[in-house]
Amino acid sequence: MDLTRVRQDFPFFQKKPDQKTGAYFDNACQTLRPRQVIEAVTRYYQESSACSGRSMHHLAAEVTRQYDQARATLARFLGAAKKEEIVFTRNTTEGINLVAHALDWNAGDVVLLTDKEHNSNLIPWQMLARRAGVELRVVPSRPDNTFDMDAYSRLLDRKVRLVSFGFTSNLDGVTLPAAEIIKKAHQVGALVLLDAAQTAPHQRIHVRALDVDFLALSGHKMLGPSGTGVLYGKYALLEKLQPFQVGGDTVASSTYTTCEFLPPPEKFEAGLQDYAGIIGLGVAAQYLMNLGFDAIQKQEWLLNRALTSQLLEIPGLHLIGPSDPALRGGIVSFFIEGIDSHRIALMLDQMAGVMVRSGQHCVHSWFHARQIAGCVRASMYFYNTLDEVSLLVDSLKKIRKVL
Amino acid sequence: MLCIVSFIVLSILGIFSASNRQLAREALDCVLRRVTLRPCNTGFDEKIKAKILGVVITRSEAGARFLNRHFELLSWVAFFLLLGSSVMAVRGVYLFYVTGSCNGLNNSAFCVFDPTGQNNQVSTLGQTCSLSDNPERGVTLKNVDLSDWPVLNAGASNQIVMVGCYACDYTRKVYPSIRALVQKYRPEFRFGEYQVKEQTDLLTRVGYCVYHADPEKYWAMNDVLFTTEKANLDDPSYVHQLLASLGLDANQIETCASDPQTQTRVEKLLNEIRRTNFPGTPTIFINGVPMVGPKPYRVYAIQLEGLFYWMK
Ligand SMILES: Cc1ncc(COP(=O)(O)O)c(C=O)c1O
Repeated sequence: MDLTRVRQDFPFFQKKPDQKTGAYFDNACQTLRPRQVIEAVTRYYQESSACSGRSMHHLAAEVTRQYDQARATLARFLGAAKKEEIVFTRNTTEGINLVAHALDWNAGDVVLLTDKEHNSNLIPWQMLARRAGVELRVVPSRPDNTFDMDAYSRLLDRKVRLVSFGFTSNLDGVTLPAAEIIKKAHQVGALVLLDAAQTAPHQRIHVRALDVDFLALSGHKMLGPSGTGVLYGKYALLEKLQPFQVGGDTVASSTYTTCEFLPPPEKFEAGLQDYAGIIGLGVAAQYLMNLGFDAIQKQEWLLNRALTSQLLEIPGLHLIGPSDPALRGGIVSFFIEGIDSHRIALMLDQMAGVMVRSGQHCVHSWFHARQIAGCVRASMYFYNTLDEVSLLVDSLKKIRKVL
Repeated sequence: MLCIVSFIVLSILGIFSASNRQLAREALDCVLRRVTLRPCNTGFDEKIKAKILGVVITRSEAGARFLNRHFELLSWVAFFLLLGSSVMAVRGVYLFYVTGSCNGLNNSAFCVFDPTGQNNQVSTLGQTCSLSDNPERGVTLKNVDLSDWPVLNAGASNQIVMVGCYACDYTRKVYPSIRALVQKYRPEFRFGEYQVKEQTDLLTRVGYCVYHADPEKYWAMNDVLFTTEKANLDDPSYVHQLLASLGLDANQIETCASDPQTQTRVEKLLNEIRRTNFPGTPTIFINGVPMVGPKPYRVYAIQLEGLFYWMK
């Protein structure tokens, strides 16, 4: 990967000489956006800001074409069988909520989660448990925070209706052995939903190869516009799901008392959509495919190896998750004994413009169970550099020396 | 403690920047929690501490270490310094309001609200200058015989005594305020004319004669002399015309003014004025308190009628 050329695509790096250089290491929250995506969004508003589908005029036809094209690109991005398996959402959270509301649950059904789910893949199920008498089971991780296949197998039985796992953890970057998990789930008749918010930006996902039933992702974590997302679902399953949010654009026709729903994906895309955002998301997915996930992963591993080895020189610093950087994608989470993680994050920003995330990263359950107050998370992406890694480490060393 | 200091500082900085405004809001929330003895849950203290440490550490690691170790103590110190300077600032604003100087009556030390020191300027013999410190020391009406000074509303409970000169800028500046005060609150008003710039006391003598001919016309004449162009004051024909226009016998007044007896009386009057030790004009005594230089109207009014003069 030609890093210099790639960085030129990102307006963020085109700093004026008097601006703070710093380093952006909060990519797990949102990534930076390349010019191509920004231009696609701007182009929509400047040239064709109209509705898709509903109207007959030529502008609407153009938006419909671009919207469909974005759906087709996302289908290719995920290796879906057809573009109708792609439902546009606002984010991963919405995709998960959709499944939680739209499956026909029976009291006594079991939903299986891991012990380090993001709140977005925990709270919807807690609500469902209250609403529909569904039971939640939590698969504990191994001591190094990697997936415990044995524990999973023990908890898996015919009562399990859905396995809903975070494909890649936003806490420590660990990716689950999804193919094996899915195979085992299917053997007991369970469906599998993968929260791929932290996977889609970093690894090639092939939903058909995985044979996954549902998969949710967020556009803003993979170079796309804010508030865009996708729920992938096998078409046959989507057809069986109840609608989630309903209203305009979800039905073919209605009387005062009845309605006839459109087929998926329209059935789930209620109301006017974020056309600009979705067109931009299509461009983002294409950008990542052009770059190639091999190159992306290679750069992230390089950065993670460098950061991990340098961090381990700092006394009192503990890494969260496995020590092997190759297992943690672009994420390095750590805490330093006796120093509050928020203080570290604020100081890094103030000192050197280094932007990291601190706290419990919406995985409160994991932190509470282990009585750890919080951690600092540096989440890297392919456009980060070794110089930026050094800036982070040097600043941290100073903080350690002083506090 | 830090949140109180920060709130005040950030509120001021917030005038200029939105991000500081947001921090000030957090600080306020924290202050409110602190005063109701709840913990500050916005993490505001922590945020500010980290930000300050982040700045200091780039300049001096030792400094950052010291700050980190003694942060609580240093924020108390900052609090008291802020408290002290706030008290001083409030006192300054109050004193400026009441006396026209941030540092107290007639004090000409620097004051932001009156940066050029206008409120303490006087015309002294032959020049214009700013007051030295405590110019009112020794300035008094004690043992000064005021009986020969022109007087309005004699016997009223409040008293304004003014030493001024027709040709002096600062007296001219303040004269309308004093007239307005006299009209509104009707105190006893005595006026001593002292030509600090001119070598002659001609106008003083003319004034003396006019006052004794018709006191009411004397005050009318003063109103004109303080507002007419200064050049006219040196022009005998202008004075002649003025006297005539006031319905006085100009020739008779002029004869009176050059009468040696008048000269003696006026010399006695000027001597009494000198006995006040006034440092320059205008010097205005309100109920005996000397006020040197042209103060804003409110300063005189407060001295005369109290802080709530505007309610009367
Ligand atoms: C693993 C994981 N799941 C779900 C989410 C929620 O994503 P969103 O807020 O885009 O819905 C996140 C966001 O950080 C995440 O990291």
